[in-house]
Amino acid sequence: MTETPPEMEIQPPRPAWWQRISVVWLVPVIALLVALGIAWNSYAGRGTLIEITFQNATGLEAGQTTLRYRDVTIGVVEKVGFAPDLRNVVASVRVANDVAEYIDAEAQFWVVRPEVSVRGISGLDTVLSGAYIAGLWDNTSTGAQYAFTGLEVPPLMSGSDMGGLSITLRLRDGNQISAGAPIIHKGIEVGSVGEPRLAPDGDLVLIDAVIDAPYDRMITSNTRFWDASGFDIRFGAGGVELDVRSLASLIQGGINFDNVISGGDPVDPGQEYDVFADETAARSSVFTSTAVDKMLPLSVVFDGSVAGLTVGAAVNYRGLTVGTVTDLGAIVEGEGDDRRVRLLANLEIGTGQLGLGEDVSIDAARDFIARLVSEDHLRARLATASLFTGSLMVELVEVPEAPDAELDLEGEPFPLLPTTAPAITEFQTTAQGVIDRIGGLPIEGLMQSAIGALNSVQQLAGNPETQRVPTEAANLLSAARALVESDEVSGIVSDLRETTAGLSSLTRQIEQGQTVANLMSAIDRANQALEGAADVPQITGQLRELAEKANRMEVDQLAASAENLLRSADALIDSPEARQVPGALAGALREVDAMLAELREGGAVGNVNSALAAAESAATDLGSAAQGLPDLAARAARVLDQAGATVSGYGNDSRFNVELVTALRSLQEAADALTTLARTIQRNPNSIILGR
Amino acid sequence: MVTARDAGLVGCTRCGRVHHMGTPACNRCGAPLSSRDDTSLQRVWAWWWAGLIAYIPANLYPMLLTSTLVSNTESTIVGGAVELFLHGDVGVALIVLIASVVIPIAKFMAIAFLAVSINKRHIMGEHAQHQLFSVVEFIGRWSMIDVFVVAILASLVRFSVVATINPGIAAVSFALSVAFTMQAALSFDPRIIWDDEK
Repeated sequence: MTETPPEMEIQPPRPAWWQRISVVWLVPVIALLVALGIAWNSYAGRGTLIEITFQNATGLEAGQTTLRYRDVTIGVVEKVGFAPDLRNVVASVRVANDVAEYIDAEAQFWVVRPEVSVRGISGLDTVLSGAYIAGLWDNTSTGAQYAFTGLEVPPLMSGSDMGGLSITLRLRDGNQISAGAPIIHKGIEVGSVGEPRLAPDGDLVLIDAVIDAPYDRMITSNTRFWDASGFDIRFGAGGVELDVRSLASLIQGGINFDNVISGGDPVDPGQEYDVFADETAARSSVFTSTAVDKMLPLSVVFDGSVAGLTVGAAVNYRGLTVGTVTDLGAIVEGEGDDRRVRLLANLEIGTGQLGLGEDVSIDAARDFIARLVSEDHLRARLATASLFTGSLMVELVEVPEAPDAELDLEGEPFPLLPTTAPAITEFQTTAQGVIDRIGGLPIEGLMQSAIGALNSVQQLAGNPETQRVPTEAANLLSAARALVESDEVSGIVSDLRETTAGLSSLTRQIEQGQTVANLMSAIDRANQALEGAADVPQITGQLRELAEKANRMEVDQLAASAENLLRSADALIDSPEARQVPGALAGALREVDAMLAELREGGAVGNVNSALAAAESAATDLGSAAQGLPDLAARAARVLDQAGATVSGYGNDSRFNVELVTALRSLQEAADALTTLARTIQRNPNSIILGR
Repeated sequence: MVTARDAGLVGCTRCGRVHHMGTPACNRCGAPLSSRDDTSLQRVWAWWWAGLIAYIPANLYPMLLTSTLVSNTESTIVGGAVELFLHGDVGVALIVLIASVVIPIAKFMAIAFLAVSINKRHIMGEHAQHQLFSVVEFIGRWSMIDVFVVAILASLVRFSVVATINPGIAAVSFALSVAFTMQAALSFDPRIIWDDEK
């Protein structure tokens, strides 16, 4: 039997290790790679570590506090530790790598915390998020740095990467300005100031300030700054003026500026400016230039009391304020029994205010004052600055009669200015003088005189006659008006016209009647007869007789009576019974008219000669009468003037006055008419006869 | 003890039907049949390593990124548990600690132990090993508690500026770690336990 060989143990070949390996191994490999990648990534991206040293770590928290550049978070504080000597706090900050290279030596760091001040609340976002570190650096890298010292206060130029101008302000006094106070231009805040500090010599207060872009372009060499802190109260003729600025500048102070005159050159960063006390001083400084460091110090020693003189009191020279009193104190002079206390005042004289210009040195100004003292006898004296408050000022006056003196250059603490008698007008004295003078007035006599005068006036006024005066004047004026307005007066003119017309028609008849020609021929014949005859004298005598006879005719009387009439008319108008004048005149004229009519109707041609003569003489008389008319008119005008002057005292609106004015106007018109008539007649007497 | 292999049989791992040795595929469900999975241990170790690698960042990196109005907080798993403990929430702290630290680590150790001690009867009996495997498989899913908490918080707490919670890198790592360890446990072929060297 065949034995089946035992089954062979066939060992299949072991597959190679890479064939046995499972694909699943890829998973841990990938996981490892990813993990390593993440690890590398976070290691590489964790940023650069910089260390910032602060004095304290208020608000800084490791892992929480961020570092921000332009409010973008670029890093986180990793650790807050101490410097090796425990004097400072070191904050280690992880900064993004791409920014870290710009953080060079000029970088500034400060902690932004919530801050509540009079100007408002800043950093409010940090109330919830916590404080953060703000960084500031420029955009050029000058070598990265890894250790910095942080600022305790934010830098002024925190927004300055866009520009801005840093300047230094010089003040006499820093107690009105605190850090962060605004710089204001036309009410707009354009910058702020930093912490005030003392100048190295201790005389001035210096403040760094920044004018933000784009306002920095307004700062020129002509810019003037002045203190806008607090509020101003001014007492003046217009009452009290209260000028209050913003609340912030009230508490924190503020500095205002303006370009007083246009032009001016741009300035370099770091330029120094003086801050004037107020706007007026700043504006006037263009002309006087009160640079604070160009003040000439002087001392004055006064005898007697300086009560009323205060620090800051003005120093006047010829009425112009040229300086101020800076110090007051007492010094002891003399030895032994002669020791006495005298009062020392230190002054500062502004060289610019003296008109010496800005470039003059203090020494030159002192020499100038010394020369004024020795040559012009310049002296200092106390003078009253205000009568009411009794405050004093120091006045520099030239006293020619003063004994010679020099500016004591050895004087302590400053060159000593000689003094002269004070010109103090004490209010008490003045008031006493005023009262004395008032007391010395003869008031009682004055009162008695006044009482007497008033009594007289009262009596006069109470007198019935006085009271009647207006009434009578009114009566007179109304009578005058009635007279002027009466038909009779106007009748005069028409009567005159009628008379003239009569005369002219008479003349015309005479002309028509060839009377004149006949007369002429008669005269010719008479002449011929005279020439031809030997007994001319007889004829001449006859003729003369004839003429005389003609002259003696009743026309003579008529003329005389007419003249009389006119004269009486004149007198009448002049007299209070003037209103009867027109009637009489009219009657007279009517009579003349009637007479002329008679003459005309009577056909008295035979008496032509005498008639003509009569007419001529009548015309002459009329002319002379008319010559009296201007006089009449003038008289009337005079009367009216007088009446006007009298009446002008009776007020403007009274009925009396109104009537008076009306009457005067009528009278004036009448007088004008009379004048015109008179002038016409005077100029051409024939017209009354010839009618033209 | 007679195993299926000794009896010349092979069981379908999917539907459980028993076939004769040599049958290539289950004639009921069609799944491929093999008496033993040769690469099982390899895959266990591979997943195990992947899980371990993922577990490291899960503990180093923050699990929760909490941003509130006041602060930003990043808390890691252990840090969060400690914080809870300091707050006085001992119970919650324990749950977090057990679910996120104890259980995963125990799982790692259990799987490693199983993989190493396979067929080494002097360490542990077959039945004990089998029970340990069951426990590991059962308990694995509970490790996801932390991930669930983070997912729920992150989706619920979204109040813009006031409070926001975001999952950190650790959340993803931890989820991956748990998934990998579960995969490791799944890859383990418990039948190997029976292949004892007699």
